[in-house]
Amino acid sequence: MNGYNMRSILKCVRCGTCRSLCPVFDVVGWESASSRGRMLVAHGISQGMDADEGVFKSLNTCTTCGLCEQTCPSGASPVKVIENARHQLVLRGKMTDAQRSLRSEALEKGNPLGEATERMSWLGDSKKHLPQKADYVFFAGCLGSYRYPELTKRTFEILKKFGVTVLQDEVCCGSPLLRTGSDPSDLISNNLEQIKQSGAHTIITGCAGCYTALKNDYPEKMSVIHVSEFLAERLAEMDISKLDLKVTYHDPCHLGRCNGVFDAPRQIIGSICDLEEMKSNREKSKCCGAGGGVLKGYPDISLAISKSRLEEIPKDVDYLVTACPLCRTNLKRGNPAVGVLDIIDLLEMAMG
Amino acid sequence: MQKSDILENLQSIVGDDMVSSSAAELYCYSCDASQIRGVPDFVVRPSSTDEVSKIARLAFDNDIPLTPRGAGTGLAGGAVPVEGGIVLDMSSMKRILEIDLDNLLVFVECGVVQEKLNEALEPYGFFFPPDPGSSAMCTLGGLIANNGSGMRSVKYGTTRNYVMGLEVVLADGTIINTGSKTSKSVVGYSLTDLFVGSEGTLGIITRAILKIKAIPKERSVLLASFEGPELAGRAVVKVLSSGIVPSACEILDRNIIEAIKSYDPNISLPDADAILLFEVDGTENSVKEGIEMIRDACSSLASNIRAASDKKERDEIWAARRLVGAAVSRLDPLRTRVYVGEDVGVPIKELPGMLNKVNEISKEYDLPIMTYGHIGDGNLHTGMCIDVLEDGDWDKLNLVADRIHRTAISVGGTVTAEHGVGSARSEYLGLELGKGLNVMILIKNALDPKGILNPGKMGV
Repeated sequence: MNGYNMRSILKCVRCGTCRSLCPVFDVVGWESASSRGRMLVAHGISQGMDADEGVFKSLNTCTTCGLCEQTCPSGASPVKVIENARHQLVLRGKMTDAQRSLRSEALEKGNPLGEATERMSWLGDSKKHLPQKADYVFFAGCLGSYRYPELTKRTFEILKKFGVTVLQDEVCCGSPLLRTGSDPSDLISNNLEQIKQSGAHTIITGCAGCYTALKNDYPEKMSVIHVSEFLAERLAEMDISKLDLKVTYHDPCHLGRCNGVFDAPRQIIGSICDLEEMKSNREKSKCCGAGGGVLKGYPDISLAISKSRLEEIPKDVDYLVTACPLCRTNLKRGNPAVGVLDIIDLLEMAMG
Repeated sequence: MQKSDILENLQSIVGDDMVSSSAAELYCYSCDASQIRGVPDFVVRPSSTDEVSKIARLAFDNDIPLTPRGAGTGLAGGAVPVEGGIVLDMSSMKRILEIDLDNLLVFVECGVVQEKLNEALEPYGFFFPPDPGSSAMCTLGGLIANNGSGMRSVKYGTTRNYVMGLEVVLADGTIINTGSKTSKSVVGYSLTDLFVGSEGTLGIITRAILKIKAIPKERSVLLASFEGPELAGRAVVKVLSSGIVPSACEILDRNIIEAIKSYDPNISLPDADAILLFEVDGTENSVKEGIEMIRDACSSLASNIRAASDKKERDEIWAARRLVGAAVSRLDPLRTRVYVGEDVGVPIKELPGMLNKVNEISKEYDLPIMTYGHIGDGNLHTGMCIDVLEDGDWDKLNLVADRIHRTAISVGGTVTAEHGVGSARSEYLGLELGKGLNVMILIKNALDPKGILNPGKMGV
């Protein structure tokens, strides 16, 4: 471990403020499941602690939601330290089955879900009629392509009208590997090459995980926007009618807190119906529990966090809206009393 | 008994999921926010007094050290198992058992977080006043065991003033109840007071009856700027002797002001060598009168005085002030705040002199010392940041801390006003208490004859 990383770990003064914030600690209760605990475990590893099940359960249960990092009084960066610690362990060949599976599936099949079918089949026959070059390109993502193909198709139907195209050979953005300590360089190179070939100056994505990976983790700085940002600027050009509904909105951590996209989804909602905020929202929004490999590796913890987040839904709303397929999946798992919609679902309802 | 047998016994008491002996978990429980270290053999998270009692009995029968822990936010190693053994993480006992507004009290389990209690009380218009900087995460049990306090203590006193009764598990597992729900009782020695501030060395606090207060109708904040901390110290003496009792009276020096601004750039604090933050609460008239009295008392010493513009500014200032202890780490990427020698208290009259002496020590050792704290009750927090990878910095830090401690004692003060003794300050107890320490040792031996309860703490 180099000096920079050690300094990052030692920046934590162990004040314990993160105990009051960490959604994982909230449901697990053990010190090792708080950010302070994870900083200590990262320190322990640097001092030669064996990577056993306890170490994995500490480091790998962080959803990388970033609430601790945003609030940390001493300015420590737990998420960076945790991701780095995961990476250091993976380099030593130490990882859980869940990490190994995410890695091998993503690198071998181009998606961490292990799907072997054609990624862009949601496009049907229309792919061949699409322009190969455009200013904007839609990055569909793995969950979009394989778990929500209908939604993805409908999203693209809207985008297409504004001249947006897709990549010829999109693969996983690399986010699941980046968050869980593996090297996604091959995936990133492939996507970068595709993006170059498309000639696009901006990439549009509907997934918070893809968004932050493309924007912050790729070696080349690119213009990346969320589909809600793209459409919020074009609301006047769309035929939207008001709906007699009240919804609430869950800020995906990697879209909101980590990248500051708060207003565009709210602008879309506001143009359609009433919005009542969840108890914690915007910068302070609580995590859905799915990120950082937690849904894959620790589904029970992930579910408990989801249920805790769902308790923050205001009483009299018709839907819970979000803007990330992973959040949506996990919030659905929590079995909420109201339906969970993607922001595009809501937009489509208003477009008749 | 073999370790594996102890583990099995603990598992049979609390269930498999509430005991851990994994290396990662033990490492996480090997420290608090101080520099004290000690790795436990087991961490146990009991859910009831009965479980705590059974664990204590097991520890007693097998001579196993037993260290209770709340949220582990302590600054003196109070919850660190310096002799190994069992750490009792009490934070799972977090039920508010009763809110009794007619009797102005609550009955709680010791793992309730301070802020959660106040969230529960707020709708009724009540609050529990002791408010350490760690309110958002510290447990009431830890607060009681350390007799913690905070910014409001200048008016509302310390945790001790709010503890009416306790349920305590003794070293051999016996469960006792101290105090009562009556506001006055003179029956027997005040065992409640004995356990408050005993830092887990005499018994394990499991439940408490606590006094609560009505939330004041009005609060107002005044910011007074000074050309140096010593002038600010003189202003505090003047304000307090004028008869007004502020609900908070905090000092921030130049570095601390910078740290607050770095944590929250939106806060507009004056640019000054020292600021005093006064808060007055009460009725509309009494607050207005109190603020004017403070303004008058400070006028000849302060370079600038202004009131916080609104509730939003007031809340932002206090929120940032709460976190400033750690936020000083933000001032230099290579340095980290280390909590050593950070909590002395001196008689109010000695404040200006103590501030001067801290300044002299800082110059002598060429180590910047940032000063903040509850100056209204003579409690100074002296913040030092070092490069924790440099051994020389540690040596200097420890020398400076020692000088600060001895200086405080020499002017009739104390080495710790609210953070606790733990292991970090136990070497000064003889110096500060004299033969009183022998009485403490007698009490310790009577209640914990085998010395299993939080050994290595408080000089006993």
